Amino acid sequence: MGYFFRRLRYLWNRDRLERELSDEMEFHREMAAREGRSNFGNALQMREASRESWGWTWLDRLQQDLRYAMRVLWRAPGFTLAAVLMLAIGIGVNVAVFGFFDLLVLRPLNVRDPGTLLRFHRRSPESYAYALPYPEASFFRDHSQTLSAVLLLNWSRVAIEGEDKHVEAHFVTADSFRELGGTAILGRTLLPGRDDTAGAEPAVVLSNGFWQRHFGADPTVVGRTIRINGKPAVVAGVAAPDYNGLSMSVPAFWADLGQQPYFAEGSHLLTDFSVESPGVQMFGRLRPGTSPYAAEAELRSLAAELRRQSPKGIWEKEALPSQPAGYATGLLSGNRRGSGSEAASELYVVFGLTGALGLLILAVACANLGSLLLARGVAREREIAIRLAVGAGSGRLVRQLFTESLLLALLGSAAGTGLGYVVLRSLMVVSEAPAWLNAAPDWRVTLFAAGAGIAASLVFGLMPSLQVARRRHHSSTMRQFLIGAQVAASCVLLIVAGLLGRALDRALSAHPGFDYERVIAIQPGLGEHGYTPAKSRAYLDTLQVRVRALPGVQATSLVQVAPLGRGNISAKVVTDGRAMSVMLNHVDQEFLSLMRIPLARGRNLERGDTRAVVVSESLARMMWPGQDPLGKRFPLGDDFTVVGVAGNARMMKMEDSDAVEAYLPIEAGDLPGLAMLVRTAGSVEDLARQAATAARQLDPGTFPEVQLLKNGMRRKQENAQAAALAVSAMGGIAHLLACLGIVGVVSYAVSQRTKEIGIRMALGAKPGHVLRVVLQRLSLPVAVGLVLGIGGAAALSQVLRQQLFGISNLDPFTYIGAVGVFAVTAAVAALVPARRALRIDPLRALRWE
Amino acid sequence: MPKKEMPSGALGLLILRVLHSGPLHGYAIAQRIHTLSAEVLHIEEGALYPALQKLLLKGWARSEWGISETNRKVRFYRLTPAGRKQLDSELADYRRVHEAIDAVLRTA
Repeated sequence: MGYFFRRLRYLWNRDRLERELSDEMEFHREMAAREGRSNFGNALQMREASRESWGWTWLDRLQQDLRYAMRVLWRAPGFTLAAVLMLAIGIGVNVAVFGFFDLLVLRPLNVRDPGTLLRFHRRSPESYAYALPYPEASFFRDHSQTLSAVLLLNWSRVAIEGEDKHVEAHFVTADSFRELGGTAILGRTLLPGRDDTAGAEPAVVLSNGFWQRHFGADPTVVGRTIRINGKPAVVAGVAAPDYNGLSMSVPAFWADLGQQPYFAEGSHLLTDFSVESPGVQMFGRLRPGTSPYAAEAELRSLAAELRRQSPKGIWEKEALPSQPAGYATGLLSGNRRGSGSEAASELYVVFGLTGALGLLILAVACANLGSLLLARGVAREREIAIRLAVGAGSGRLVRQLFTESLLLALLGSAAGTGLGYVVLRSLMVVSEAPAWLNAAPDWRVTLFAAGAGIAASLVFGLMPSLQVARRRHHSSTMRQFLIGAQVAASCVLLIVAGLLGRALDRALSAHPGFDYERVIAIQPGLGEHGYTPAKSRAYLDTLQVRVRALPGVQATSLVQVAPLGRGNISAKVVTDGRAMSVMLNHVDQEFLSLMRIPLARGRNLERGDTRAVVVSESLARMMWPGQDPLGKRFPLGDDFTVVGVAGNARMMKMEDSDAVEAYLPIEAGDLPGLAMLVRTAGSVEDLARQAATAARQLDPGTFPEVQLLKNGMRRKQENAQAAALAVSAMGGIAHLLACLGIVGVVSYAVSQRTKEIGIRMALGAKPGHVLRVVLQRLSLPVAVGLVLGIGGAAALSQVLRQQLFGISNLDPFTYIGAVGVFAVTAAVAALVPARRALRIDPLRALRWE
Repeated sequence: MPKKEMPSGALGLLILRVLHSGPLHGYAIAQRIHTLSAEVLHIEEGALYPALQKLLLKGWARSEWGISETNRKVRFYRLTPAGRKQLDSELADYRRVHEAIDAVLRTA
């Protein structure tokens, strides 16, 4: 330890110590001279030798190298600018991808002590659900010892005066603000002991965004009475702009959970034990010193205890697994529920794919820069020869050349961080991400950018430095390798971009298997207002009669899940050892004809069917290949019998060609959750208005939402467009970089071989022959790169299968097209500089040195 | 009198040994070794000062300011307890190796 500190002290007091040393040595000389002995050694060199024993010489050299590198780069501004720009693009793309990952997965939410927050969901061997019935969650809230606080959140859509569309309302336990550190910029937040007491005056806290949008940031809003679902409530305060609680979506306001039935008339939320209840999301804060396992174990035994009291509400062997809630990923699961085990999250697949594409761009940029550095090595031959001649070791030379690369890389990292921020920020603006997600790079992103830069400099800088220092940069192996790498990487990007482009084209033009243009969906939300199945039946029957009386209406149909909407239901079905994920919908007998889905075989569902199912053609083909599906057993909890086969219609997941559908009859229990589809011959916009009025008149306590199916379709198309655009931009950048690289390498080859070409031409070589000579070294790496690129694209696109709208990930048109585009552009990029070889004057070439 | 170069490892040992009898400045160390070796060993500055820096860095010696015989401010080197220990162990090592070499030379 003492040794280390002494060394540090030497570093600290260098200047003084050096003065003392030189003083001391001067004294030594004086004394020696006095005794008649003269010493003519090199004083400077001796001082340096002494200094070296302090062990800090490397720092001096680094400083020297950096200073020199800065001078070199400053003197070649064109090269420096090109290199930094290339790196900035390569690193910037990766910084944007990592920044997004950081935002969702790594960075804690802006709430108090996010590390101790957990989110719980329900799981049993048969089922899972991310929302808990309120009575269950409330039981946990009252009895848990391992959790210091249990926060509950229900989100409902409500009508608010002055807004055409429904807005999102978050009903939370009143202690949420205090527990999460949320503050109000006006008025107060929700207060436990005030807002959650029986008979408390209904009060809401507005979100900052809604306050600005709806109230024009009016500072006098506190204390005003507003009407929500027609019910009066007092504005208690406005939340600070950075507070959003534990949710990815920004609500219009927060209100106490106990008041949800007040706003949603007839709601059974607080007493309904069934899994169909909208329920609440449950969050808990761990008591200091307890582990998530302890909390899970406690909740499991509490659930078992509760099951004895209400055996219907709690599942057999119900467990409550937790996940960290202090990060955005913990909030993305929404309120999914289903049977069997859960599908793996697609989030990491998306990140893996975009990350891989980003790294490919960086690889192209690095390979390009590597070639550039090799070519520069030629221009610096004299300098390097002189350095070697005056005694620079090759190790020292490599270090110095590499320092230049490192400096370039760090400049590139800095520029890339900026670029990445701009890209991420604009993506978030385009995708309307919540304003409280902060895209500014934090220490992780900065570290990542620096790391990417250093890794990049190892890739593009180290090999050329070694080769240049050893004066082996004329050998073409390295260059060919770099070209091959560029071709492969940009080929992958082009193909993936091509696939997504084709998928987009398919999404925009192909027939989805059903007709949605003149259809609307009415969502009365009966279940949220406490309708029983019988009451729902009456409501829906009346609504149907009234809607059919509207001008232009051709047909109506009841469905559980409206096509092209927000949600979907999927189930895992196993027959004969084959497991497949099936999109389910409960529909009435009008559904197929209303959606213009053809019935291929058998019969439609009929009134009174209970255990009948109509499956899609692709489902029948996949589940019973080569057999007659009619009459087959369809195992779905209970057994259903296949009575008909309908045309394929990917209504729930259009982008996934593997998705198959099954239509089941409506059961009484489904009634409160049903939506009504209406087809018109006239204008859908008019119909939507009239239908909303009709539904509203039926029960003024409900607030039905009406949606146009074509809007849902447009939303899906826009998503596909955005993905295709982003990947095309990445592919375009990589392609451009690769072409620039080819131009550089060919023009270098031409200038290297001017003399040889001159001789060949003097001896009568034909232009074609000359071109062949110039380009022959290029053909092998390009061919190998293309093959590797095609293979890479085939492997990588495997994960894209579900997003391709039915295009095969091995679609031959895309592959041939991409390779064709690449071959043509690469040929042009090579021929432009190669033509210079044809203009070489043999006489001048022979004199050329 | 022929002047011999020092064998490399021995310089540190000699400096330690010379400092054992009391603090000295750099030139005096060189002088002392020169005289004690009957003017056989001559120590160059280029070797002496790096060796002294290493001694300081290892903590075997400390430096302090003093006045030379010519009335100049100059740095004196003084052995630390760690330096004494190092001297003992280096001396023991040296003797063992010396005896071993001697034994080979005598019998072979």
